[in-house]
Amino acid sequence: MDIAHFLEILWLARIPILKGLGMTISISLLAICVGTVLGVFVGLALTYGARPLRWIVRIYTDFIRGTPVLVLVLASYYVLGTIGLDLNPFQAGILALAVFCSSHVGEIVRGALQSIPRGQTEAAKAIGLTFPQTFAYVLGPQALRQVLPAWVNTAAEMVKASTLLSIIGVAELLLRTQEIISRSFLSLEFYFFAGFLYFIINYAIERFGRYVERKTAVPS
Amino acid sequence: MINRLRVAAAVAAFAMLPSITAFAQETKSKLDEVLARGHLVLGTGSTNAPWHFKSADDKLQGFDVDMGRIIAKALFNDPEKIEFVNQSSDARIPNITTDKVDLTCQFMTVTGERAQQIAFTIPYYREGVGLMLKADSKYADYAALKGAGSSVTISVLQNVYAESMVHAALPDAKVDQYESVDLIYQALESGRADAAATDQSSLAWYMTQNQGRYKDAGYGWNPQTYACGVKRGDQDWLNFVNTTLHEAMTGVEFDFYAKSFKTWFGKDLTPPQIGFPVEYK
Repeated sequence: MDIAHFLEILWLARIPILKGLGMTISISLLAICVGTVLGVFVGLALTYGARPLRWIVRIYTDFIRGTPVLVLVLASYYVLGTIGLDLNPFQAGILALAVFCSSHVGEIVRGALQSIPRGQTEAAKAIGLTFPQTFAYVLGPQALRQVLPAWVNTAAEMVKASTLLSIIGVAELLLRTQEIISRSFLSLEFYFFAGFLYFIINYAIERFGRYVERKTAVPS
Repeated sequence: MINRLRVAAAVAAFAMLPSITAFAQETKSKLDEVLARGHLVLGTGSTNAPWHFKSADDKLQGFDVDMGRIIAKALFNDPEKIEFVNQSSDARIPNITTDKVDLTCQFMTVTGERAQQIAFTIPYYREGVGLMLKADSKYADYAALKGAGSSVTISVLQNVYAESMVHAALPDAKVDQYESVDLIYQALESGRADAAATDQSSLAWYMTQNQGRYKDAGYGWNPQTYACGVKRGDQDWLNFVNTTLHEAMTGVEFDFYAKSFKTWFGKDLTPPQIGFPVEYK
């Protein structure tokens, strides 16, 4: 392995790599944000929804969680097109990842909410809080602490799943890396480098999760 | 009751509406659609030199891309009027059948199975496996390699058929399989292998990139035909693409084709003979 040669090619390829990195980060961010917002509603519906709603959402989460992300990505790109919703690869990819993320976050939120003793909701009712107030002041903050570690895990999964969008032609970090390899023949070096960049992104997410955990910890 | 029937009829009519309009559109060819749109939507990849890959300044290039440029030039008299749809090899056929692209040129091997799903154009390249030697190799060519029997080692890309593929040409050679293309070249460079066996187009590209360091053993086998693909059922569009490709290999656009061939495969083509058309020889 000729380090100087690799560094030279790496420097020449800096713009495509940065573009790919930016694409990976924006895909992941969008998917995580949209997926988390949707997921909170999914979790609420699963825990407090009326029976028919709960069933529908249960089928949704089980169906999505039981499907490989790759299948979701291909389905949102190809199948939605046949029913008239013609998304470009980027939109289709975000949709698939966000939907996948929402089902996981939904389960995490449900688990967290159900682990809070029933007495708390009853006590909140007793002092006259409405449901939104109960959620905002009593259940939400407690659930948040439960959710965080699992949420960091899901977020890291989304970053890794973003590589699957290369199949439908979204120029994210992996596809950009493969493009560079195809002209430079430095496969080992560039795959290592891409792996390192993915690690950095996921490490940053993990640190962010830790930071929020610290901020929201119950002072002892 | 009558009311309900009426509603049902209205729903049925509404559901048929798109199919009626679709029928009206079907009489119009993709050719008219592309001309009206003003640019060609070409499906190809971005990770395989010299077919379709990115240059150092991030521009898509290669032999497949040039085939698309020939079509765009015929359509709009401007080879740049192309919108590229970047697709993986797995996406070639689905993107054609779901109308994500007008045309796919992506080193697609013509097979009977694929020809049932899409319409292939006329071929624009014949691929095959070749052998590359170091320029100063003790083996002069294919005959020398074959004569050396089991004392030659061939580096090849890892594949279920890799062993039988090499043995079809060199029955006694030792076969070393590697996980990526750069590793088979490295094996040759370092002397762990006497020759590298892979697609002739890849070898040709590698040799043009490394002038004078390697040589071709002068033997090819495992023929595969490369053609572009379009959606089935649109003869007008298929004819247009066929005519254009045909004229690129035999007629007015021969220089464009030959220049591209020289750029990516390093070989000069003899111009088609003037007089009696070559295709009837």
